[in-house]
This record gives sequence, C-alpha cells and structure tokens, in this order.
Amino acid sequence: MNEFLTKLAETIEVPEIKEADQLKAFPQWDSLAVLSVIAMLDASYGINLRAADLNAVNSAGELFQLVESKKRV
Amino acid sequence: MNFKFNRKKVSGTLIVVPANEKSFVEEMKNYNFPEARSLKLKEVMGYNKRRMVAGDVCVSDLAVFGLEKLFERKLLSREEIDALLVVTQTGDYLMPPTSNIVQGRLGLKRDMLCLDINQACAGFVLGLIQAFMLLEQESVHKVVLINADILSRKASAQDRNIYPLIGDAAAISVIERGDADQPIYANVKMDGSQFAALVIPAGGLRLPCSAETARLEDVGDGNRRSKDHLFMDGSTIFNFVQTEVPPLINELLATAGASADSIDYFACHQPNRFMLQKLADKMKIPHARMPNNVVENFGNTSGATIPMALALNFADQIRQKPLRLCLAGFGAGLTWAAMLLNLGPLQFCEMIDYP
Repeated sequence: MNEFLTKLAETIEVPEIKEADQLKAFPQWDSLAVLSVIAMLDASYGINLRAADLNAVNSAGELFQLVESKKRV
Repeated sequence: MNFKFNRKKVSGTLIVVPANEKSFVEEMKNYNFPEARSLKLKEVMGYNKRRMVAGDVCVSDLAVFGLEKLFERKLLSREEIDALLVVTQTGDYLMPPTSNIVQGRLGLKRDMLCLDINQACAGFVLGLIQAFMLLEQESVHKVVLINADILSRKASAQDRNIYPLIGDAAAISVIERGDADQPIYANVKMDGSQFAALVIPAGGLRLPCSAETARLEDVGDGNRRSKDHLFMDGSTIFNFVQTEVPPLINELLATAGASADSIDYFACHQPNRFMLQKLADKMKIPHARMPNNVVENFGNTSGATIPMALALNFADQIRQKPLRLCLAGFGAGLTWAAMLLNLGPLQFCEMIDYP
C-alpha cells in the first residue's frame, strides 16, 4: 500500500497521499492527472483502467483496492 | 489483416504546412484552466507551436500548391500521374471527391483514377496499401498519395481537450514500382463499434448542421464545444493505443520474420508526445528510435504526421540511403495499421510553407 501511495503521489505531483485522501480534492486532479495515473498503472502494474473507472473511485485506498482486485484476475 | 507487396516503392514526399504559426502559451488564456496546469500540459504533451490555416483554406488548396511546386521543380509531371488518392476527413465538399477537384484544378489527364479515402491518423499506411494495390495494374505506373486534413476548422478554440494539439498539413507522396526484392508487409485492424471515441457528430446526414449543432456547450473541465466540432475521448484513445498497437506491430514483425532490433526507426502517427513515449516504453523501444517531435513543432496533423516525422528527422539520411522502417498509424474509425518497409533513397523529402 505504501509503495502504491508513493507512486500515486509522484504521478500527480503532490508531496504525500494518505489512504483516506479523496483524490478529487487535490487541485492537481484533472484530466491530465487521470491520464498520468492510467499510464502509471499500466507501466507499473500492467493494468488498463479507463478514465470512467478511475473517476468512480473516491479515496486513494479505494483505488489501491481496485488495482489489487484487477491484479488477481 | 495481413498484406504483402513486392516491388513497390515510395520515391518522394513533400509536406505543405500553412505558414501561419500558433503558440500554445499565447492561447492558454482561452481556456478556463489554471495557468500552472496548462504549463504542465505543455510539458507533458509537448504542446508548443503548430501550424493552422488562416481563413477559409481547403484541402485542395494545400494539395494543388504542393503539386504545382513538384511540377515546377520537375520532380513530377502532370502526364505521369495515373492515380490520385486523397486521404482526408475534411474534404472541400461532401460531394464530389476532393481528388477530382485537385485533378480538375491542375488540368491532369482524364485517363486516370481519382479516389478519396475517408481515413485519418492511420491514413498514410492505408493510402500506401491502396497505392500498392493500384500499381499491380499494368496501366498504373505512378500514384500520388495525398494525406491532408484541415481539422483546425473543425476544432473548438475553447476546447483544451483538442484545440492545442491540432495542426493542418498536406503530405504529398509519390509511389511507383520498385526493383528491390525485399517484400513490404502490412497489418491492418478496424473496430467500428468504437467510432464515437473520435467523431465530428454533426455535418453528415445522421445529424445535419443547424443552429442547434453550432451552439457551444459546456462539456466539463471548463471546455466548450459544439456538435459541429471534432470530439476526442482522450483517455479511451490512450487506452486503445496502449492496448492495441503493440500487438499489431508484434504480429507484423512476426509475419515478416523480422526482429524489433532490425528496424532503424518506428515512424508512428503522433497524437502527442506523451502517448508516443508511453507506447515506446510499453514496447521497450528507446525513445530515440520512435520520433515524437512533430506535435511540438507542427501539431497533430492527422494522416500527415508520419511523412512529417521523416522530413523533420531523417530528410538528409533518407535521400541518400534506404531506412528500414516500421510505420504505424492509429485513430478515427477506430483504425490501426502498421507497415514494415525499406523507405528510400527518396528523390525528395522536405517541407514547404503555404503562404
């Protein structure tokens, strides 16, 4: 989880992201951030998410759970 | 779908770009978006300068201008053009074909074939395939392939999603019979079920242009566009490219029995720098072997980006000797297509300005 949160923070260029943080609350969270996260998840975890999947997620922890569930498939 | 051709070659390519240059930084104020994020977008996507027509310039204007230059410089003569292909999404009229208009304006012979192909970003590869097929005919010795789009006239200036990346251009390539023994391979895929990811909703018969379709609407993220404007679902297209293009190229190389290391350059369509860098990373190809600098200098010019990548990066080399290239185009349709060929030495490979 910690490694995931660090990567996520680097991708959207904020100092830190905690599990409970709401992604849409970050001022940096826009369509460019969404695209960057999609690319990061593909490169680091081999997972292809759509923007709609990502926009349906609220907290960073939820995104982590989504990524874990896709990894197992 | 696999294609294989023997004894065909591209003998030259001339790119016509409008002289009118636009700068992303100057246009940032048009977007309802914090400046810092716009600058970030510039850095990641490679938005900088691009060329757009000024006024009501049409595809046939760029094409006629370029072909007249080739005639003047004796690189091509009117009589030797047996077929004229125009690949465009932005023809002069819904009817007739723009290729016929170009033929008429230039006074080309009547004993020839004019054909429009409604394709965009994959249009260079698809145009080459059509040209090679025509050259199987005894009566066809020389084909002119024009990849031209003026999408700036169909993009909303208040849509940060599309406007900063659009450039206009026409690439005019000459294709003829070759004597090299090395076959040319191509691989083409289509998925019309996803057509809505890249579409100009209004203007055809499905939804004719009206006052209603011309009305600018708030489409979220501070962007405004109308149904007359080009729409691109950026993240769907990104996913599509990352998922579908690597297997397309791998399949092509496997069919040809070629390794990725044997390819000098991967000359891909250039939607933006970000997408090409991610594509190169995914395919484990060094960025230097997949040029991505067309967008920052000229914008995404639809089917013309591959010839522009050649002229911008390899003009001197490719006039001297052949390069072993893997071409790949992907976009509207959805369509994705790749080709493996030796390209060059080209008789001409350059860009000129349309005043």
